[in-house]
Amino acid sequence: MADPTAFYEPEDDELLSSLAVPAQYQPQNDGDEYKRLQELEQHAYAQQQLMAAEQEQEQLQALEMVPEDVKRFLVLFHQAILENDLPTITNMYESGWNKLSQAHYAQNEWPEAELISPLVGNDQVFLTLYRELYFRHVYAKLQPTIDDRFQSYENICELFNYLLNSEGPVPLDLPIQWLWDMLDEFVYQFSSFAQWRASPKNKADDELEMLAEAQHIWSSYSVLNVLYSLVQKSQINEQLKAEKEGKTPEEVAEIAGEYGSKPLYRNLGYFSLICLLRVHVLLGDPTLALQTMENVDLSGGAFLTRITACHVTTYYHVGCSYMALGRWPDAIKTFISVLIFFIRMKQYHTRSYQYGSITKQCERMYALLAICTTLSPGPSDESIMSIVKEHYGDQLAILQRGGDEAIETFKDLYLSAAPRYLNVNPPPYEDSAALESYLANPPIDAINRHLDLFLSDVAAVKGVSNIRNLLKLYTSIDASKLAAFSATEEDGEEEILQQLMVLKAASRTYAKGSGEGTLLDGERIVTNNLDFTIDGSMVHVEETTSHRRFAGFFIRNAEHAQRVYNTIRSAPLPVQRKPAAPVQTQGAQPNGTAPGQTSAPAKAAWKPKRQVQIAA
Amino acid sequence: MTAAVPTKSLAQWHSPETRAEVIHELIHGVDRYNPTNLPLMEEYLASQVKEGHYDLLANLAILKLYQFNPQHSNPDVIINILLKSLAATVHGPDFNLSLGVLREPLAILHDIESDDESLVVVMPYLQNLHELSRTCQFTKFWAEFNGDSEAANIIRTRYISQFASYIDSLRLIFSTSAASCFSRISLTQLSRWLDLPTDKVGEWARQVGWSVEGETAIIPKNGDNDVKAGVVKENVQLNQLTKLVASAAA
Repeated sequence: MADPTAFYEPEDDELLSSLAVPAQYQPQNDGDEYKRLQELEQHAYAQQQLMAAEQEQEQLQALEMVPEDVKRFLVLFHQAILENDLPTITNMYESGWNKLSQAHYAQNEWPEAELISPLVGNDQVFLTLYRELYFRHVYAKLQPTIDDRFQSYENICELFNYLLNSEGPVPLDLPIQWLWDMLDEFVYQFSSFAQWRASPKNKADDELEMLAEAQHIWSSYSVLNVLYSLVQKSQINEQLKAEKEGKTPEEVAEIAGEYGSKPLYRNLGYFSLICLLRVHVLLGDPTLALQTMENVDLSGGAFLTRITACHVTTYYHVGCSYMALGRWPDAIKTFISVLIFFIRMKQYHTRSYQYGSITKQCERMYALLAICTTLSPGPSDESIMSIVKEHYGDQLAILQRGGDEAIETFKDLYLSAAPRYLNVNPPPYEDSAALESYLANPPIDAINRHLDLFLSDVAAVKGVSNIRNLLKLYTSIDASKLAAFSATEEDGEEEILQQLMVLKAASRTYAKGSGEGTLLDGERIVTNNLDFTIDGSMVHVEETTSHRRFAGFFIRNAEHAQRVYNTIRSAPLPVQRKPAAPVQTQGAQPNGTAPGQTSAPAKAAWKPKRQVQIAA
Repeated sequence: MTAAVPTKSLAQWHSPETRAEVIHELIHGVDRYNPTNLPLMEEYLASQVKEGHYDLLANLAILKLYQFNPQHSNPDVIINILLKSLAATVHGPDFNLSLGVLREPLAILHDIESDDESLVVVMPYLQNLHELSRTCQFTKFWAEFNGDSEAANIIRTRYISQFASYIDSLRLIFSTSAASCFSRISLTQLSRWLDLPTDKVGEWARQVGWSVEGETAIIPKNGDNDVKAGVVKENVQLNQLTKLVASAAA
């Protein structure tokens, strides 16, 4: 692991050694045999040539079948990438590809890379990038087969190999959206594979065989290796640290070195940190996840907020890590902050192909908020909480009531909203006897193990809300009296004192201060208004009251009024429809000035749009 | 003996000052995945056991290596890590965080082909102790801990004896739990929760910084056991007003 290239090199060697000498070829055989073999080989070679020519012919024919606009697109796309023309690449990547996918490949794959290679001068780098998009499309729209999974892995490794193990930084530049999507997809395909591999049931024989042979494919080690290699190559941690210390851009560039100073490597390194956060959460290690992010700035203007999917994913996984640490207020804060952001951004993002998955992740955060706010009640953002109530009102009521039914609801919400934890170790595919016993007696999977841990957290505080409600009624009360209300056992008083200690702990936690410090840092805080001290056996209750909050309300509504005012002011005056004029004339004279329009300001906002529509 | 006061910040939790620089470098770099570092890490755990220090993140790094290299798993190390986190905190997440990177005992033993199945009885037992501890059922905790079950015997004879004052560190965290609630507490109650005879409990109380008056221990104020009702006033930050100010200035 220490050597970032370690993963790739033995692979190559293996490949070479298995190709170099065909098994039946033995040079120490006597002359005749050798000659015969040579003849046989020549014959085979000729036939191969013939077949290759035929294949080529077929491929050319197949290429003919590829729609013209797709061909044109690929040629231009290749051109743009060769020229590192970022605006064009971005446009073709974000809109062109998706439009063509919708038009031609809604139900099937894009053409194979080998097929289109004549179009792009057999440019292997482009073909690798193309395959990355090709497989992403397969995963998104179709059902990936085991071959797809394996080939996609090999392709992405080839790509990272090219990036990391070329001589010097590669002369390639890609838009940050693509770089993020690439790494995001890498982790997604890894987790998708790990889930698929985790269950040996319903697998065909050849699938079982392939899984037994290819242990390294999509292994956790190899995925971590790629991500850590990108982090190291780009010196991203050192760069971020230097930036935080306020070093000049020149100094940072020097620290970054020949790779890290290139945007391609820097961005890949940065996104790799976020992918590591995700992988560590999925592998059940929240402290390591947060530790990985120690140099990444999470505040409003941070780099990661430039890509919505990245922003949402980061906050989701940071929040989930805080949940596992029992730091509910930090989890709540994290979720709320990204949900507010998402609601504001929503209108600009309806076109992104990831919009669906982002919305789903946000939905999961609302469910997690229902869990967190039950376990750590307290004031939180009203607008977000009203959405939580809207979506999870019934569940919220059950959670707050407590009891066994609540445990069931905690379970359902957690299963639907928590990360899909992964089993690090695959079932023993290589050993059929072990596999059989594995099937007969499957161990608990990672998701259920984490569910159990979470439910034990919940169970530990299950009496808390009752006793809290009881205390609310008193300013001071003797523990023995309290015991008479709740417990029935003989050790009633001790029991209640123990429960009070649990209540005390449930009203305290550690939270990240507003100042300096990493995500793992925290100060002890009080999370509930109701507090108490026990003097011997006398419980003194103290309740902190908060004044009604007016400022937030006024700020929100003043801002809202301002927005409404701005919208009204910038809107054109309504056009008065002449009842006689048919619709056609309006379309034919888009620039004709209707009497009502002359006085309207800011016409530019919609007019060009209309012209474009008409032109198209 | 340190005072029984809840810690104010997590700095010592995620990077204790007893951690050597080399360990710090190791668990912050990619070298933490290198199984050849296991002996070093296990050595460090052994020193924690012997000297009574505690370093959760380093211990989790050991479990991580076991996660990726199941054939290297060492049940004794696993049990020591769980015992360490059990005695480190009553309400913290440490114990469950360790469980989060572990699998079932049988699966672990299967991978190292071990015949010693004590892990199978010990792990559920430790989990049970952890549940009792985090729900502050200290009296029951001690009953289990000192009980006659197979697991309790294994733990006491094979593991606890290796630890520096393990039982005292349990007493200390239980005392801390009590200190966050009580301003005065009866010695009889304390003796049950700390598993100390009544004539020893006063001495213990003085060791952790409390004073004793007759049959009660008086716990100094620590911010948790002397709460006062307060009033939270609304506090508007300037940055909440940026939009309003900006539009007023425009």
